[in-house]
Amino acid sequence: MSVFTRHRPPASAPAPVPEPAGARGADGPVGGRPDGSGPARRRIAARRARPVPGTRIPLGMRGPVAVSLLPGLVLFGTFFLVPFLVLTATAFARWSGLDFAWSGLDNYRQMLADPVFFKALVNTLFYAAASVFVQVPLGVAVGMVLALRPRGWKTLRTIIFVPFVISGAAYALVFSMFYNPRAGLLNNVLGGLGLPGRDWLFDTATARWAVAGTFVFIIGFVVVLVMAEVASIPREVYEAASVDGASTWQQLTRITLPLLRNVIGTAILIRLLVDIGMFDLVFILTAGGPDDATATLALYAYRAYLNGEWGFANAVGSVIIVIGLVLIVTVRRVFRIGERAL
Amino acid sequence: MGTTRRTTLVTASATALLAAVTGCGAGTDTSDSGEVVVTCATCQESPTDPFLQYNYEAAQRFNQKFAGDYRIETIENANAGSSDDRLQYYQRLALADDLPDLFQLNSGEIKAMERTGRLHDFAPSLEADGDWAASFYDQAFDALTGPDGQVWAIPQQRDAIGIYYNKELLEAAGFEQFPTTWDEFEDLAVTLKGQGKFAVALDGDWATKLMWANLIGTQPGGAEFLGDSIADLEDWGDDPAVVRATERLRNWHLQGYVNADAFSGDFQNAAAPFLTEEAATVPNGPWFVKTNLTTDAAPGLYEKTGYAPAPGWADGGQGTVVVSGAGWVSGTTDERELEAVDAFVRFMSSQDEVLAQAEATGANPPVRVDAAATDAADLEPLATGLIEQAADLEYAYPHARVHGPAGLDTSWKNLWPAYVKGDLDTDEFLQRLTADSASSAQ
Repeated sequence: MSVFTRHRPPASAPAPVPEPAGARGADGPVGGRPDGSGPARRRIAARRARPVPGTRIPLGMRGPVAVSLLPGLVLFGTFFLVPFLVLTATAFARWSGLDFAWSGLDNYRQMLADPVFFKALVNTLFYAAASVFVQVPLGVAVGMVLALRPRGWKTLRTIIFVPFVISGAAYALVFSMFYNPRAGLLNNVLGGLGLPGRDWLFDTATARWAVAGTFVFIIGFVVVLVMAEVASIPREVYEAASVDGASTWQQLTRITLPLLRNVIGTAILIRLLVDIGMFDLVFILTAGGPDDATATLALYAYRAYLNGEWGFANAVGSVIIVIGLVLIVTVRRVFRIGERAL
Repeated sequence: MGTTRRTTLVTASATALLAAVTGCGAGTDTSDSGEVVVTCATCQESPTDPFLQYNYEAAQRFNQKFAGDYRIETIENANAGSSDDRLQYYQRLALADDLPDLFQLNSGEIKAMERTGRLHDFAPSLEADGDWAASFYDQAFDALTGPDGQVWAIPQQRDAIGIYYNKELLEAAGFEQFPTTWDEFEDLAVTLKGQGKFAVALDGDWATKLMWANLIGTQPGGAEFLGDSIADLEDWGDDPAVVRATERLRNWHLQGYVNADAFSGDFQNAAAPFLTEEAATVPNGPWFVKTNLTTDAAPGLYEKTGYAPAPGWADGGQGTVVVSGAGWVSGTTDERELEAVDAFVRFMSSQDEVLAQAEATGANPPVRVDAAATDAADLEPLATGLIEQAADLEYAYPHARVHGPAGLDTSWKNLWPAYVKGDLDTDEFLQRLTADSASSAQ
């Protein structure tokens, strides 16, 4: 028995029999060539174009169905579509809430001429990179270890998950005390070790790193995702590997890790989308300073909003949206999110 | 039912509903008993903010006195206290034409709100009642007026803002009195540093800019900068008084005279070292007594605390910040509600109420009060002592916030740490501070 199945209760249902590679599409068995191309794909497209029997709305039911959709459409329109359209349109205007004038691409020209915009962009990407290259790998590693169910794993899982449910604002306040150069824990510990302390959050050399240090260790969400995914891997896979003589390390790196591709991609995607809109943590810790060393795009937009430059703030918001879309497409492609691993 | 009748019925119902809905926001708001009801967004109870708590109690007294005619209805408002979001909150309400009937703003916020065109102008009321207008101190309205003589707010206080000092720490450093020149202050700082203490506790925002204003205002021409040319948004680095003050203040940080955590913008970072007696002085207004000095956080500290004006650059050149602070503003346009608002602001500026406020908060009256009544009111001696002393000082000047652009606080918090730590030189700091602060004034 593999280390991955040793402590796991037997599955209540038999594991599904794997089908030949390429035999399944997103909608189930379709037949055709193993690579899914050629005439078979055309036949699938033709089949999809025809309405599935029983799925057409009967003529007399269209009214009630439309009415039942109405609340959802109203909510979608009110809280997404209208704000999105306002943001998109006013990104091309000088708008302070009081005055309004179309200005074409002026907001974008102003943005590209402002060095603070590039500082905020670089900082935002820095925080995103900290998530991708530190937070998620750390979470995956810890999740894989806890999936082995070592002694006390439930307690550890709870301890690791707790910071995730603490609000960003509360977390920021705790860390502002932690980094306090006069009375903070970090400088006191360093002093105890005979090392010099410094003003971590308000020194341009360390501020960005200090901010990143507050969130890269919040790995509870990734750990829980990874543990759930590891639990869903059929134990037969590990048993077969054991029979073939694979070591624990080999099972970990050759079976588990590749099968976590989907969940790792999802975790990265979620983190990236959080990071490109990062605001509360930075706002409370440093307000973007010193000298914009920790400012993010969201904070940059907020400052513009405070200054009454609402159109400019919305132009920055549109840049954040575009970056988000690019990241979504890129991560989905790189990690082939949605494709089955087994 | 025919189609036409159905259509007529639906149209009539919709019209009635629309009329009812639109009617909610129009007309005088009256209670069942016929009282004119006005909403107040800064009259809520507060266990932590003595000003809000005083407003609440004053509103209850107003309701008792004017029962049957006017009544103040309190709006629970998360943005009632001073915060970065307060101005945005009221600007949004102004855009929606939904400002409260009564609320308070500081002078910087009033300047920004002026552009919305939704604030009530009190000038006609003051002109119509010369006695009431004359009861206010000179310059009480200076930072609360518009370009064409409008009076956007009725001041609630008029304070001298000085420097609190720990008499025991000063005596231990060989100073029987608070220094009267900045050179003496630095001598004190050197001695205190040798004893492991800080000379001054700052926060990177309010308290730091108070010291900046003191260093500027106690130079010839400094008061003119703080009261006038700061608003011109020319490069502030062109003013030699500003340059000297800025560099001297930075030097205090570099020499270790200031607490190391003086950059967060959180006043508690300044209050804490003073309350724990690690720092010998802290600049702040009279309200500091109620909010910090006499709380459980610092037992016994009040008795050893003095309150002094800022030292000067030369002998006899001391000065102090004098501000009118927050004022009462109104967003209503309804005639009867304005009558109630008028009654309320007169009530709040009456002798009894300004003395009650002074007792509750430590803030000084914006109106002239009988000396006998003041004595009888047993006001906070630290605060009243300084406001009396202020009349004899060489310099009196506003805080940089009063006439400075609304973006000054944000820009200062962002740039000041970088300047102190050597990332910017003085020219670049002041030039960028001017430009960044000005962006909100465009």
